[in-house]
Amino acid sequence: MNATATAMKPLRQPSVLPGFGLTFGFTTFFLSAVVLLPLAALVMMASRLHWGEFLEIIFAPRAMGSYRLSFGASLLAATINLVFGFIIAWTLVRYEFPGKKIIDALIDMPFALPTAVSGIALTTVFAQNGWIGQYLEPFGIKVAYTWIGVTVALTLIGMPFMVRTVQPALEEVQRDLEDAAETLGAGRFHIFRRIILPTVLPALLTGFTLAFARGVGEYGSVIFISGNLPYKTEITPLLIVIKLEEFDYKGAAALGSVMLLISFIMLLAINLLQAWGRKRQTGAGR
Amino acid sequence: MSITLDQVTKRYQGIPVVNDVSVEIGNGEFFVLLGPSGSGKSTLLRAIAGLTGVNHGRIALHGRDVTHVSARERGVGLVFQNYALFRHMTVADNIEFALRVRRVKRADRAQRRKELLRLVALEGMDERLPAQLSGGQQQRVAVARALAHKPEVLLLDEPFGALDAKIREELRRTIRQVQRELGITTVLVTHDQEEAFALADRIGVMNLGRLLEMGRPDELYTRPATRFVATFLGAANLLLARQSKSGIRFGSQQVISHARDGAPVGREHEVVAVLRPEEVEIAPTREALDANYLAAGTVEEVVFTGALERMRIRLTNGATEAQLAVANGDAGAFIEVTRTQPEQRAFQVQLGQHVAVGVRRIHVLPTPLSSFTACAASESEVDVLSHQPLLVELATRMKTRVASRVEPALAEGKGECSSREDSFSGAAVIASSPGALKSIECLLERGAEEVFVLPPNAPSPQRVLIHWADEGARAATLAVSASLLRHLSAEAIYLDVMPHGTPDKQRPYGMRALLDARSEAHAVHGLEMRTELRFGNIASELGRQLGESTDQLLILGVSEISGLAQRFGELLSGTPRWPLLVVYREPEVAA
Repeated sequence: MNATATAMKPLRQPSVLPGFGLTFGFTTFFLSAVVLLPLAALVMMASRLHWGEFLEIIFAPRAMGSYRLSFGASLLAATINLVFGFIIAWTLVRYEFPGKKIIDALIDMPFALPTAVSGIALTTVFAQNGWIGQYLEPFGIKVAYTWIGVTVALTLIGMPFMVRTVQPALEEVQRDLEDAAETLGAGRFHIFRRIILPTVLPALLTGFTLAFARGVGEYGSVIFISGNLPYKTEITPLLIVIKLEEFDYKGAAALGSVMLLISFIMLLAINLLQAWGRKRQTGAGR
Repeated sequence: MSITLDQVTKRYQGIPVVNDVSVEIGNGEFFVLLGPSGSGKSTLLRAIAGLTGVNHGRIALHGRDVTHVSARERGVGLVFQNYALFRHMTVADNIEFALRVRRVKRADRAQRRKELLRLVALEGMDERLPAQLSGGQQQRVAVARALAHKPEVLLLDEPFGALDAKIREELRRTIRQVQRELGITTVLVTHDQEEAFALADRIGVMNLGRLLEMGRPDELYTRPATRFVATFLGAANLLLARQSKSGIRFGSQQVISHARDGAPVGREHEVVAVLRPEEVEIAPTREALDANYLAAGTVEEVVFTGALERMRIRLTNGATEAQLAVANGDAGAFIEVTRTQPEQRAFQVQLGQHVAVGVRRIHVLPTPLSSFTACAASESEVDVLSHQPLLVELATRMKTRVASRVEPALAEGKGECSSREDSFSGAAVIASSPGALKSIECLLERGAEEVFVLPPNAPSPQRVLIHWADEGARAATLAVSASLLRHLSAEAIYLDVMPHGTPDKQRPYGMRALLDARSEAHAVHGLEMRTELRFGNIASELGRQLGESTDQLLILGVSEISGLAQRFGELLSGTPRWPLLVVYREPEVAA
């Protein structure tokens, strides 16, 4: 009954499983070797540049265009997922229908599919003569080789993150709460807005964060559908790869550091927001 | 009337979880629905709240039919076992929720909240979050929240389930106090009989979706009408006894009856007697007993429980033992006794000690189905019969036993039936066979009052058809039907048939008779049943309905043995494929 009471834990707790020292040591080692050291190398590499050079690279118009696309499309895709991922999760949790198991399994497909494959598939479908693209063409809507295509690809890639985070949270929403609200006279919209949404909000934010982070880092699927026009449909990861191919390691590292910094700030902000929300719900006293 | 339920039925996947429940709850009454888990009590409560629809029947609140009104608009207050507080809202927001929904002004909301918090003794807790409160405090908030919109009815679903004993008692007192202060009609659902006793003006006991009995707590405790209520409300020793004009006999031991049941005592017959453990007295010798002597026994188990001492005594008189039945249906007779401290001091007992057992008070259940006796021509057939799943299920639920009896007269093709009067323990049970009609007639001649014909591996019935051949059999048929149906989760249908070509003027009388019977069943036995009136031949109509599926049971009442062959010969000529219970009572001779 008291699911939220376990939010704050002391650093070290007596546990049924021994070996805190060993596991904690492994955790630090693993994180250092796989995450921190490469990132440090990245920053080190970038720091070999002079300030002037560094600023010139990162504020170059082509780079600025790529940031706008990378972060803009990722944010937009994560927002689309926020709405539709929630609806999918809701459908899967609240309703019983034939084929539910199959749909549930399909959700995980983008996890397993090589991203290049999804990129090529999406391009085929959304190209001017593709299955969907041909119907959008008369309306002047071009998906493939525009920023819209990038957003579509990122939406697909981020969707399972959203659904899989929100699903368990929705399953935990007690039906009693809705029943209680109903007997107190609340209508459906009111129940959704005041009872269900606040309860799953932390999960929604987590899902949003994950989908966004995945979108910023995505490379494989986007480069097929974006068309990679400099200043227009070129994402930052691609720009980095281009720089690498030109053996401009420092330039690539500089762009990498910028991505790292922006991502870090955005993720931190979302996490803080979440922690604040959780605190409000659990109460400081426990 | 504040809450009126009329034949409310709710089915899940065709199985009734709430079965024909009718009850009227008065203004300001505290009504407790008591029953084991799965008895349908919570479903019934949710139906009153409007959270669950019903398949059949009507629900009215303060005279307004709300059967098809949504929970939002019913205006009831509901409290859940797990509090169901909105965890992201403060206590104040939780309590004001219903008022906010109704767009009540801020100042009025605050004032109402203050009032409610005072009522549940939580002043000053306004800004706390639910997680900062103890379980008991959270449930108080839930009660305050449920009362905010001034509902006309307060519904509580096991509100103390998640709390420990001390807090439970405290909260119980608060709820009783709040209920008295506001004079609000309240329905509480619980499985805890102590809770029911402490709170209720009236208790309704539910089992298998049926409302078995209703009444004041003390009435239900001292004079239960059913085995289930006798054993569910407090502890009870259920014993089979024989009752006649001269009193109650356990085996050969005559115990003068203190039972106060108005049922006319005809010839001696088997009854179910309830002995409360506190009404049993023990003494070193028969002469030292103050109460009526029942049997001799040895002390098998003594448990100290604080105020009371509980013990189990094995009865040792051979003659008595055979006639007793205990809860698990064994013929081995144990009797539960509780004694107070002064009683313990007056006579201290050791394990294994021989004592004399007396009873201060015996209550005889009005149920006509006391036990079963499996009858067949050979011992192996009796054995097979007494292990039939439906019979075992019924006996277990009725907490009674299945005795066995070899009846050579039942052998196929023998047809010889000595008309010697004999005493049967409870209902006679026979296997379904081509000669079923003859066997039934024979057993009735021999003195059986009910004969239960059982096809092999009959499923538990979902539908019970009831019909009696003539008015003389009506009362007994209704009583037996009620007794049987309390132990089945089946629907009861009383079927009557008028001959073809009945003039239109006559038709209302047929309907009238049906409805009269229905009200009698409800008033006397608390049995709810549906009624159907058909035209044509009774035997073929029953045959047609029974032919539809095998999970049906037929109860036939007759007051003349010959009437069975005359009226139902066609129906009973083959091998019955459904269970059949024949109820036979001789017409009473006017005194």
